[in-house]
Amino acid sequence: MATTDRVPVTVLTGFLGSGKTTLLNRILSENHGKRIAVIENEFGEVGIDHQLVIGAEEEIFETNNGCICCTVRGDLLRILGQLLKRRDKFDYIIVETTGMADPGPVAQTFFLDDEFKQQFLLDAIVTVIDAHHIEKHLDEMKEPGEQVAFADVILLNKVDLVSEAELERIERRIRAINGTAKIFRTRNADVPIERVLDVGAFDLNRALAVDSAFLEPQYPFEWAGLYDLAAGRHELRTGSDAHEHHHEHHHHDENCDHAHHEHHAHDHGHHGHDHHDHDHDHAHEGGLAVALLTAGAGEPAAVIADNIEPAVRAFAEDGVQIDCGGTLKPATAPYRIDVGHDGSHFHIDIERAGRYVLVVEHAPIEFGLRIEGAKPIVERRFASHHHDEEISSIGLTDPRAVDPNKLNDWLSYLLKSRGADIFRMKGVVSIKGEPRRYVFHGVHMMFDGQLERPWPPGVDRVNTLVFIGRNLDRQELEAGFHSCFA
Amino acid sequence: MKSPPALLEPRGTAVLDDYIVDIAWAADGSRLAVAGGEGKVCRIENSSDALSVSEVGQHGLGALAVAWHPKQALFVSSGQDGELRLYDAIDGKVLARQRPSKSWTTHLTFSPDGSQLASAAGKQISLWNSQLESQHALPSLEATVAALGFDKSGRDLAAAINGGVVVHRLEGPRYPVRHYRWAAPCITVNFSGNGKFLAAGTQDGSVHFWYLATGRDSQMRGYPGKVDQLGWSGDSRYLATAAGDRVVVWDFGGKGPEGSSPQQLAGHTDRIECLAYQPRGNFLATAGLDWRLSLWLPGKFPAAIDAHLTDSEPSCLRWSPDGRFLALGERKGKLSIFELVRI
Repeated sequence: MATTDRVPVTVLTGFLGSGKTTLLNRILSENHGKRIAVIENEFGEVGIDHQLVIGAEEEIFETNNGCICCTVRGDLLRILGQLLKRRDKFDYIIVETTGMADPGPVAQTFFLDDEFKQQFLLDAIVTVIDAHHIEKHLDEMKEPGEQVAFADVILLNKVDLVSEAELERIERRIRAINGTAKIFRTRNADVPIERVLDVGAFDLNRALAVDSAFLEPQYPFEWAGLYDLAAGRHELRTGSDAHEHHHEHHHHDENCDHAHHEHHAHDHGHHGHDHHDHDHDHAHEGGLAVALLTAGAGEPAAVIADNIEPAVRAFAEDGVQIDCGGTLKPATAPYRIDVGHDGSHFHIDIERAGRYVLVVEHAPIEFGLRIEGAKPIVERRFASHHHDEEISSIGLTDPRAVDPNKLNDWLSYLLKSRGADIFRMKGVVSIKGEPRRYVFHGVHMMFDGQLERPWPPGVDRVNTLVFIGRNLDRQELEAGFHSCFA
Repeated sequence: MKSPPALLEPRGTAVLDDYIVDIAWAADGSRLAVAGGEGKVCRIENSSDALSVSEVGQHGLGALAVAWHPKQALFVSSGQDGELRLYDAIDGKVLARQRPSKSWTTHLTFSPDGSQLASAAGKQISLWNSQLESQHALPSLEATVAALGFDKSGRDLAAAINGGVVVHRLEGPRYPVRHYRWAAPCITVNFSGNGKFLAAGTQDGSVHFWYLATGRDSQMRGYPGKVDQLGWSGDSRYLATAAGDRVVVWDFGGKGPEGSSPQQLAGHTDRIECLAYQPRGNFLATAGLDWRLSLWLPGKFPAAIDAHLTDSEPSCLRWSPDGRFLALGERKGKLSIFELVRI
């Protein structure tokens, strides 16, 4: 059977209330001329003429030894098997899972046997996220993180309910989990249909599209700005009254006494990190790291570039923790500032007027961080490598050509030893002496790879590998891949 | 080599405007009922040459199963619309309808004496009388029923599920249940005709069987994919299965198949999709994605004793209860009837 006859399948995940059903209704009611079969775990309110909506009771099949890598969805096997028993196939299949479903077994169902591989083409895993609740969900449950990790497309929905700063923070957190998914910010799950259907995320013939920022060198900071500062005292502030906060946490006044009080309690007892116990963001526990470096003259962008290395050295230091109202000075180590919930303020003492680079661990917009009365001459964002999430993405690039046998050995070893932890992997590999690109992708231990079209002329042959999973070890993956070079 | 003892002689064909998913034969082989994947239910007269087809119903977006009463001119169909329908086989009229479940009723089977019809929808098995009147719902199982089968006496009803085979003994005020556990998704189940064995095929490429007298079980591995086709020879000596393009036959004679190597019958060149052992006989029919129908006599001949080409991928293969006729359904709707002619 020709592979072009394969019926594309989109897996739709997301928590109850995320907007998943809204998206599904949008897809079904849009005039796209496709005959769509929808397989739902729960009968919702979907019901469109001429579309088949099937209820399925989630049923996990553990084949072989019960390892997660070998689990598939029995209900899907049966229903998809029935859908094939027609002369005119459906044009498209959408599998809508429950909020608590693990996307792994759903995706693996499509890799299970040759018969299914010949009939169906997993197009993409689309995850709908309620921007208003996702941080809480990520903190409290494992399923949302898995749904983000497996996704090829993420709809960050209900963006109208959160501030821009919160969105930045949420996106950063999603990116830390899944470095390659396409993220669309939506209201009412309103997104052009071509962004969610026929995406081709599992299609080895389409180029592996990875956000290039994800593959850039990663730094322990995300932002740097070059300032011209006069001698004297400046105010560094966080928080803003420019926008409403939609968090449901306790309100703290922008009040240093309060912060001091809290910190006293901290000093006297806890050395833990949990005094922000109602805060959803782990990232600035222990304070937000900022460094102020003395900069030289020159073209502003070049000055920032020149300061990357000093900034990396500075961020290797532990840093000095300072409370609201404390003072920062140009130094070769970072400060850890308490950004508070509704803002805090610090002093910057400058002895000599001149140019300074402010380097910040996370994007300032997330905290409303600014130097009062001063605007950066130039600013730059950096890709950062987060260790905060249990589930994360690791991207590797290297131009060195690979020995196919060594690659095979390593990938086999990796699948066997780490298959349960690696949710998704994808790669484009330069094989020594081979004009074509080797492309692969995998879901847990299910793996699919082939030689694809030739490297385009004039394009550097660079290996690009992406791993998304739990407790991934960058050094281990790097060392493993480096052992494959021809 | 000995000359073959029988051949399949083409008797008649018809083209139905549907994908044939299930076929049921009348006890005397005079008629058949066919379920179509796009919803049609047809009744077919098994006359020689052109088979006369009458459409007797439509099950929404797809029909799922048909079963013929073993003694009377009645048959039942089920479909994606959730309905069960009982038809008069003479005039094709619907005699009764039921909608037992929100789930699809995917399996239908009559007990050998025709007193009971068992249906399965999701985890739920229901028992009906032959008039499709009274429903008796068995307690819901722990997983979805993937196959149903009565034993020869009609006393035991087996259901294949993820986790083994559940057998209900349909006796007494409450039906005792015996769960033959096996930690794999079982997708097909067959009692041997002599009542000694229960065999199940699994999603993960193995065949499992139990000695009913002792409950002792055994596993036969090495299949390249799921085992969804099983059949016992009429004398219960051979269990035939399909493994890719090979027919794999286990010999239950003597000390049984444990520790032995099965016969592997080669002849097909692509995956075998359908397999049917002749009821009360020892001829085996198979059909594969190589568009070939083959006839075998396992234990006697190592190669196919007859073969015919089909017009598209085969989708269903059923012997008439008397073992005289064989019906082959295809994905593109062609139905062919062959007669087993002994030489």
